[in-house]
Amino acid sequence: MITLTMAKALNAGMRRALEADPKVVIAGEDVGKLGGVFRVTEGLQKDFGEHRVIDSPLAESGIVGTAVGMALRGYRPVCEIQFDGFVYPAFDQIVSQLARLHYRSRGLLQMPIVIRVPYGGGIGAVEHHSESPEAYFCHTPGLKVVTCSDPVDAYWMIQQAIASDDPIIFFEPKRRYHERAELDESLAPAPLHSARVARPGTDVTLIAYGPMVKTCLDAAEAAAEEGHQLEVIDLRTLSPLDMAVVYESVQKTGRVVTVHEAQLNLGLGAELAARITEQCFYSLEAPVLRVGGFDIPYPPSRVEEEYLPDLDRVLDMVDRSLAY
Amino acid sequence: MALHTFRLPDPGEGLLEADIVTWRVAVGDQVKINDILVEVETSKSLVELPTPYAGTVTELLVNEGDTVDVGTPIVSIDDGLGAQPPAEPNGDGSEAQVPNLVGYGPRSATAKRRPRRGTGDGPVETHDQIADTFSTYAPVSRRADDREPLQAEQDAPTGAPLPGPGKTAPAATPSGGAVLAKPPVRKLAKDLGVDLGSLVGTGPGGVITRDDVTVASKPAEAAEEISTPVATRAASEDVRIPIKGVRKSTADAMVRSAFSAPHVSVWLDCDVTATMQLVERLKSRREFVDLRVSALVIVAKAVCLALRRTPELNSLWDEAAQHIVLKSSINLGIATATPRGLLVPNIKGAGSLSLVELAAAIQEVVTTARDGKTRPADMAGGTFSITNIGVFGVDAGTPILNPGESGILCLGQVSRRPWVVGDGAEERIEPRWVTTLSVSFDHRLADGAQGSTFLADVAAILRDPALALLY
Amino acid sequence: MSDISGASGEVELVQLLTPEGERLEHPEYSFSGDDDQIKNFYHDMVLTRRVDAEATALQRQGELGLWASCLGQEAAQVGSGRALGKQDFVFPTYREHGVAWCLGVDPLHLLALFRGIDLGGWDSEQSRFHLYTIVIGAQTLHATGYAMGVERDGLVGTGDPDRDMAVVCYFGDGATSEGDVNEAFIFASSYNAPIVFICQNNQWAISEPIERQSRIPLYRRASGFGFPGVRVDGNDVLAVYAATTAALERARSGSGPSLIEAYTYRMGAHTTSDDPTKYRLADELEHWRLKDPIERVRAYLRRSGSGDEPFFADVEAEASDYAADLRARCLALPDPEMLDFFDWVYAEQTTHLAEQKTHYAEYLATFEDVSQAPVDGLAPAQSASGRQPQPAYPGGVH
Repeated sequence: MITLTMAKALNAGMRRALEADPKVVIAGEDVGKLGGVFRVTEGLQKDFGEHRVIDSPLAESGIVGTAVGMALRGYRPVCEIQFDGFVYPAFDQIVSQLARLHYRSRGLLQMPIVIRVPYGGGIGAVEHHSESPEAYFCHTPGLKVVTCSDPVDAYWMIQQAIASDDPIIFFEPKRRYHERAELDESLAPAPLHSARVARPGTDVTLIAYGPMVKTCLDAAEAAAEEGHQLEVIDLRTLSPLDMAVVYESVQKTGRVVTVHEAQLNLGLGAELAARITEQCFYSLEAPVLRVGGFDIPYPPSRVEEEYLPDLDRVLDMVDRSLAY
Repeated sequence: MALHTFRLPDPGEGLLEADIVTWRVAVGDQVKINDILVEVETSKSLVELPTPYAGTVTELLVNEGDTVDVGTPIVSIDDGLGAQPPAEPNGDGSEAQVPNLVGYGPRSATAKRRPRRGTGDGPVETHDQIADTFSTYAPVSRRADDREPLQAEQDAPTGAPLPGPGKTAPAATPSGGAVLAKPPVRKLAKDLGVDLGSLVGTGPGGVITRDDVTVASKPAEAAEEISTPVATRAASEDVRIPIKGVRKSTADAMVRSAFSAPHVSVWLDCDVTATMQLVERLKSRREFVDLRVSALVIVAKAVCLALRRTPELNSLWDEAAQHIVLKSSINLGIATATPRGLLVPNIKGAGSLSLVELAAAIQEVVTTARDGKTRPADMAGGTFSITNIGVFGVDAGTPILNPGESGILCLGQVSRRPWVVGDGAEERIEPRWVTTLSVSFDHRLADGAQGSTFLADVAAILRDPALALLY
Repeated sequence: MSDISGASGEVELVQLLTPEGERLEHPEYSFSGDDDQIKNFYHDMVLTRRVDAEATALQRQGELGLWASCLGQEAAQVGSGRALGKQDFVFPTYREHGVAWCLGVDPLHLLALFRGIDLGGWDSEQSRFHLYTIVIGAQTLHATGYAMGVERDGLVGTGDPDRDMAVVCYFGDGATSEGDVNEAFIFASSYNAPIVFICQNNQWAISEPIERQSRIPLYRRASGFGFPGVRVDGNDVLAVYAATTAALERARSGSGPSLIEAYTYRMGAHTTSDDPTKYRLADELEHWRLKDPIERVRAYLRRSGSGDEPFFADVEAEASDYAADLRARCLALPDPEMLDFFDWVYAEQTTHLAEQKTHYAEYLATFEDVSQAPVDGLAPAQSASGRQPQPAYPGGVH
């Protein structure tokens, strides 16, 4: 049993991946000598060398595009995009090439690439450092998208993602990088593309992922004092979604509130609402309600705590659900 | 003299804590704004912290070598000016600290709601009230561009101006449509054959509630017997009763059951005197003080015990998978006569209930059924049922299985009958409490051997309740 | 990390003032201004450095979320900033605080951005200093397009100094790897845009040295795209001024784009979140300290007699006072209102967003007001949300 932060857990997971397969390479801006601006790749270049942990030129499209080429050559690149708001120069390579090569080649070509993206807000940063762009990638067939919410998941999911033969966008909630947890390596990990009930309950289902899982757990604590038992689901995998866990919960509670930092309009909450309504129609005591960022670009950090869904906004929506 | 406290800031790397490495000032030192106070080490680097206050250092609140949480007071400085600064507007950081990465330090994350204005309404809104808030639309003026354009000369347009984007779509006010009901209520109505359009909803905003539907599925005149209302008729005219509601459901179910499961019935007369004595004893016990205790409760218990030895009578014919599924749970149906007709709600997991719990559960499902509040979930998933026709004064029957179930036990009237008791020289005839038990079962799932064994086991327990200990 | 000792003998660059403060001649470039102008450069650079130091301290005290220091790059910024003509327009990155100074942008605006109050609160049209662009290199395309517009407006090559104008675009060495920057070079060249690209090669892109971005001196890239490039000593305010003046004249006259590589050094960290001790050596810092841009001007002014101790002391005092005043103004900045941001998303508001704003306002109104405690005697910023303003930071001023 060891206690580690999420950043250290990711580091340890990547270390194991580098040890397990000589074809794994890590690339990104400042990942080598500096160890990453969040120190997530600290020490890896020193131990595995510059050929395996690569400091890239300042060019996101170049990082992803060359990773595609290396993958065609049999390597398993793990790319880092330094911040969520900088993934857009790489968007074309991701969506037009990375997502499609397996499909284009009728299954012959593999793209076992992981693109790690620190995402989400709440860190007092300047523009473009607090985005939640996951919906764009979930909407793109050919890509898989996952996100960890705690150090234990971070440790296992990064290894599983690297071992996967599919291209995976791996979102890391940067405001949780320094949270600690105990890791027991003897416990088998959950499958990568599975959701998890983070806290059981009976009255309302909260569905969250990444940074909002903790917010929802706090909300459930507060709700318990008011006599409501909220069930909190950590989706973990955003594409594909593990709806079995969700449906089972909805059939039990009959009420759902989805929560994400990303803007509400066409966020993941919308897809969840559509599927839940279709599959659990007769179980629903209230419409599926959604909490998300307002439909404006992420604001300056001085107001970000108002912008981001917090315990009060979540519980306000829970109240609305219970009122039906 | 005004004393200022400097708390450890987040030096920009989002960590929760830092180590105090070297104090660059001592108590009594004069400092100007931005003089370096202390060198701290985060997990990654050494950072010098400048003072935001000028004045005299009055106290170093932490020591070199200490590991200090972000937000902890580390030094006090007296600025030598007048008034005391106001107290901290925030808490003293005793709440759980959540680290931030850049500059702003940990946010205190609490699991507490911000207090809201207390009114009876609070944030609760009905469908209608929510719809109301969509009704205004405030246009926002275009940002005025009143600077001089850069171009000194400009070509004149050669064509007509373009059409603008036009009016924006108006606010969407969902009107609600003709019938307002939640999905589960709509399903219930469908199952019970109730036409939602014919109802007036009693819920907020005219929403049709579950009760509205169940009440509507009652026949026109509420009657206590299960007989359907009889219209007055002329001497030679037939009476037409619409097939709907519970009657219709029951009819459909019986047809389905009778023509899919080959029914076999076995019956047995049984001396239940000991059971009746037990019932009397239980009635006076503390555990049963609020509960209705009758032979039915003991019969239900006996059934649950007997099913352990013959699980075939608690099984499911899975045609699609070509399996017989021996169910782990006994979901015991209790046939109940209600004003609307016969309902068979079931008690989930009856096999793991104690006698007291079973009695309470039976009472609950029966009362709920009579009140018309049985939920669809309670009507589904049954595995074995009990029907008590003894209350009508008959001995036995050939009950039809509740569709999907594997067996049904029919309890006849408990009456005084002559019975042979004793043996050998003691053999004689005595009046005893006797009842006839009939069991119908699905011959696909079980044979006469199992059916009979089951019935015999039930009877054995009723005859001598102590034998329940054997199961 | 390869050797970037960059002694002028090894690195070809235009220099008109040595680190020791001696004037040099150059065949193509000369500084024709007088010592008063050089004293003004000195003043601008000292104030720039002082503001930068104050901002760094404010961040370390929790008043700013972040600060990107321009320490060491004062000559590159003041030299080029003071060469701008009265119509010329600038597209900066996020570190050109010295250029902002020259164009009269109140440094308080820069602090407000890094404090998280806004995303760029000065009037860029009026100041001719575009808002800071955080995404690396994106502004080079904007600058090129702007220059294309200027050209279509016929404000190039007229010979009229009140009309001809050029665009200056700043970016760093790391940015030259981004696709956008290379595309900007292509467009600028193809359309003969009136633009001066100024690359402040401060040797480092966070932890990556210039060698990772380019195998040849950056100024030589320009010829690959078809326009002239020159490398100047970025710590020599006279050389920067001279080269920028020449390039601007070229652009305004209709001769098209050019690239100036101002060879300088990032004396501080990439931002206050960075720790350069992790990837660069102390002796490199010392090496560049000997080439300090302000020190050499001071040495020159002393030697020429134009600058005496009272002059230097006055500038110091002015800088201190200015910084103290800036600090006070920063702490007094009012917090922004969340509700306002709904109005700035579109030119023509949508129904959906207007409703969302209304809903949010109604939601806010359901909370009891949080009691406001004044911060160091200043009036509390009472926001419509009723929320207390964000604590400058628990370590901050209370």
